[in-house]
Amino acid sequence: MQLTIEVWRQENAEAEGRFVTYQVDDATPEMSLPELLDRLNDQLVEAGDEPIAFDTDCREGICGTCGITVNDVPHGKVPNTPTCRQHLRSYDDGDHLKLEPFRAASFPVVRDLVVDRTALDKVIASGGYVSVDAGTAPDADTRQIPFKVAETALDFSGCIGCGACIAACPNGAAHLFSGALLSHMSTLPQGKPERAKRARSVVATTEEEFGPCSVYAECVEVCPAGIPISAISAVNREAARTAIRRTKDD
Amino acid sequence: MSTSLTSRSPQSTTPRAGRSGGLPSVYAKLIMAATGATFAIFVLVHMIGNLKIYQGAEAFNSYAHWLRVAFYPVLPYEGLLWIMRVVLLACLIAHVYCALLLRRRGATARGRWKRRGLGLDVFAARTMMVSGVVLLLFIIFHILDLTLGVPPAGPEAFEHATHETSYAYSNLVASFSRWPVAAFYIIAMLCLALHLAHGVVSAVVDFGVGVRPRVFSALAGLGLLFGLAVAIGNITIPVAVLTGVLQ
Repeated sequence: MQLTIEVWRQENAEAEGRFVTYQVDDATPEMSLPELLDRLNDQLVEAGDEPIAFDTDCREGICGTCGITVNDVPHGKVPNTPTCRQHLRSYDDGDHLKLEPFRAASFPVVRDLVVDRTALDKVIASGGYVSVDAGTAPDADTRQIPFKVAETALDFSGCIGCGACIAACPNGAAHLFSGALLSHMSTLPQGKPERAKRARSVVATTEEEFGPCSVYAECVEVCPAGIPISAISAVNREAARTAIRRTKDD
Repeated sequence: MSTSLTSRSPQSTTPRAGRSGGLPSVYAKLIMAATGATFAIFVLVHMIGNLKIYQGAEAFNSYAHWLRVAFYPVLPYEGLLWIMRVVLLACLIAHVYCALLLRRRGATARGRWKRRGLGLDVFAARTMMVSGVVLLLFIIFHILDLTLGVPPAGPEAFEHATHETSYAYSNLVASFSRWPVAAFYIIAMLCLALHLAHGVVSAVVDFGVGVRPRVFSALAGLGLLFGLAVAIGNITIPVAVLTGVLQ
């Protein structure tokens, strides 16, 4: 396959970036997008140029490290699929690919296609945990959780933290991410004792780092973990619940 | 020489893209949802009331008159109308204020590179500001036209309501007989349909109702249906005037 690839090149966080067009002549349909970038980088290194920096780790869709915008769509044209699971078979010979980093004010570019997603870590640090006394692990059956409740919590906890929802959002909002966190934590008994406290701090951090949600629902179309749309309403619901309960905790 | 450890804690690195003080966005969205829902109920009732015009001049005028004397003497003359006006104006101010606030925050958080390649499925969502501005201009015009009857917005033949009777029917026909007014009304109603199509969905989600994906699609359809029902009900009236059905 022959592909024309337009890639965002940016030296560092302060530099002005620009698109540079490259040609890859020996791409194959089985290649994933990171593999295409590997191939292109081989070409660049052979020619004595600087290779393109991009984030990648597991390459099997579970770690959330990779993530670039392909032809204006975060992760690429196949819905709900991470960059590393997007293959060139979805494209035709001679196609033009525009590769740029995830775009959002919350995600400053570090270099080329790499962005700083610390803002997501701040949300996790503000409430993505359960406070427990360290010690021996409790017996597996001491807490009975109905199957359906566990399944619901698992649906929301599937988030891999890639940040595509924010890059897909015209408002740069992170409601799918924060809502998924709040939803699964408030569904399980382990998360319930700190529900109000968590909501207060997660909503505050989400607002400090990201934009407001306008229910475009663009996030659910790109989310590689398939987080359901009901997650976004959890942000308002948990915030309202906390406001009604005022200082009462749970 | 002392060495300092550079903190790698998530507190230190990036500049914040979200809000810095002011009304929390979640509350702003709840206010928009509550005020928007008030408007949605109002336009539905208003549309149903408007359809009374098809029962003839007498029925329509007596309905308009009833609105002024409703619940008298518990409420003073025009009491109900003034309660509605005050509530709706308060809702309007809150709705517009929150819309502008959220719009600005959204633009800041998105940054320099706007989202491109959005489909038609989010057309209503993307044009909320446009349809909203058209509706705001329409509301101002509509009050000048059929409530205050101030020319040139109102028709030449405008007659004010008295304590005994109302001239709503003849005022309406005189107003819509001017085709640019009728055309603006129809455009405003189409904007209303578009605004409601996204507004209904947005309000439900903002109230914290966790809708599953399939229910979400159904809700989007319901929003559009509601918007179209209100708009089409209203649009029939200027069309009936221009075609001579209502005289």
